[in-house]
Amino acid sequence: MDMETLLLLRQEVSLLLIALVLLLFEIFANDRNRAGVVSLAIVLFGLHTALGFMDMKEGELFGGMFRTNALIHMFKNILNLGVLIVLLQSAEWVKKELIPQNRGTEFFILMLSSLLGLQFLISSGDFLMFYLGLELSTLPLAALAAFEIYRMRSSEAGIKLILSSALASGITLFGISLLYASSGSIYYAELQGAISENPLTVLAMILFFAGLGFKISLVPFHFWTADVYEGAPIGIASYLSVISKGAAIFILMILFFTVLKPLMHLWENLFYLLSVLTMFLGNLFALRQQNMKRFLAFSSIAQAGFILLGLITGTTLGVATVIYFILIYIFSNLAAFGVVQAISTETGKEQLQDYEGLYRTNPKLSLVMMLGLFSLAGIPPVAGFFGKFFLFTAAASKGYYFLVFLAVVNVTISLYYYLLVVRAMFLRKSEHPIPYFTNTVYMRIGLVITVIGILALGLYSPIYDYIYALSSTLN
Amino acid sequence: MGSEAIIVFFLAGVVLVTGANFLSNLISPKSDSDAKRAPYESGMTTIGPTWVQFKVGYYLFAILFLVFDVEIAFLVPWAVAYKGIGAIAFVEVLIFLFILGLGLLYAWKKGALKWK
Repeated sequence: MDMETLLLLRQEVSLLLIALVLLLFEIFANDRNRAGVVSLAIVLFGLHTALGFMDMKEGELFGGMFRTNALIHMFKNILNLGVLIVLLQSAEWVKKELIPQNRGTEFFILMLSSLLGLQFLISSGDFLMFYLGLELSTLPLAALAAFEIYRMRSSEAGIKLILSSALASGITLFGISLLYASSGSIYYAELQGAISENPLTVLAMILFFAGLGFKISLVPFHFWTADVYEGAPIGIASYLSVISKGAAIFILMILFFTVLKPLMHLWENLFYLLSVLTMFLGNLFALRQQNMKRFLAFSSIAQAGFILLGLITGTTLGVATVIYFILIYIFSNLAAFGVVQAISTETGKEQLQDYEGLYRTNPKLSLVMMLGLFSLAGIPPVAGFFGKFFLFTAAASKGYYFLVFLAVVNVTISLYYYLLVVRAMFLRKSEHPIPYFTNTVYMRIGLVITVIGILALGLYSPIYDYIYALSSTLN
Repeated sequence: MGSEAIIVFFLAGVVLVTGANFLSNLISPKSDSDAKRAPYESGMTTIGPTWVQFKVGYYLFAILFLVFDVEIAFLVPWAVAYKGIGAIAFVEVLIFLFILGLGLLYAWKKGALKWK
């Protein structure tokens, strides 16, 4: 392994190093300095995120199993940024719940391992690396979902996640094996010219898509989502809803836009159907949720339906709008999850009615929540509006006017339930509002980053132009 | 390859599974007694309830054994191919062993090796 190789693997090596440093820290820590792991992990990961923005060469490694280019590298940076926010928002919870039980380091190591898996997943150059990445990202997550071992719901979440993702991996693997059977290769580069339409490849594509659909929680495969989000620790739920979902959408997009492009006239219809189903089901179920975590779970299902609107196009415009939307979605969803996290860590309350009168006691928190929800709903001045608008434009540019119309109907439905939360916070009065409390520095930084993201991404257009320029390298 | 192949493949799968079950049901000797329904434990009559919880220590030891399992699985091909790949492979294996060793050290520190 020479220097060039190491530089191409820079992100992955640095993640691995952080995990090893944390492991060493845990080995030599004693009861007095054990809590230091939170700051150590966050500072190291912040450094990793900052270093990630340095330019990187394109190239392939290990005979084409691993590849990286500017687009993949940028998406890794987006993932890093998202995980940094998740870590910042979880810091207080780790200190309060896990450090006394002496399990704080495991949380960080497992989360970094999962991120490492996602980075290998999106950098994969063949299906073997793809599958390894998928598994490396999922297994630690199952352990993390069951991390509050003394709560039954948390164990339930872990079991549900591991069982449904085992099924999903099995289906994906079967799809991959059929692709191999029809073309004789697992390398994307070789597959690209070798795929033609015959029943075997069509079956392979559907199975492969079903497996990834679990990760993205598209509608026929969404059953695990609400239960896992509700039971898992909030930091893990937010990781599941933005980071692992975002990475899965990205790799799905790369594979369907390049390797499976010859089957586009088929998967167009598949995406169309699932998009409509996902949007309607996610939104209609979200209407009647009382638990904030379940509410956000169904809202994230609905958002996945919107993302399919960009995927259906198969064009550069589609790639750019999807990545742009994911970036905005990470900030918006983490703003909402961050506030839920802050309140839950402080008071343990997670129901919608607990949020009544929040504006009177904690004005800043409720403003952040409002911004996040507005952005998720797509109300004009904030970034979420532009994200959705561009997605709709992309779909309309290919002539899917009726689909766009259905999506607009769904935006209206979603507006209702997002505003329900806002109404509870601002207009309702409560006998027992959540009392005023101050957040830790980490939580504040975590929330401020999301607010900056929500405000800046919509107003600062060069970011979209940059993404668009990189996206054109894919086709 | 046409769609017939997939249908044949699918039907063969269904027939194999259901057929095997059906046949074994048909031709297997059937006997029903209390002794048959009793849990099996090394051929002896079981003593006490069989739904006892096993000590988690066994499990931890088995997992720690996995560290050495993985180690040997990678070291053997490395040792066979060592002559051809030279010094750089030696360093790479040292890194690999270091990471695995760190895992063991961690488990040790956490008290996984103590039989409580």
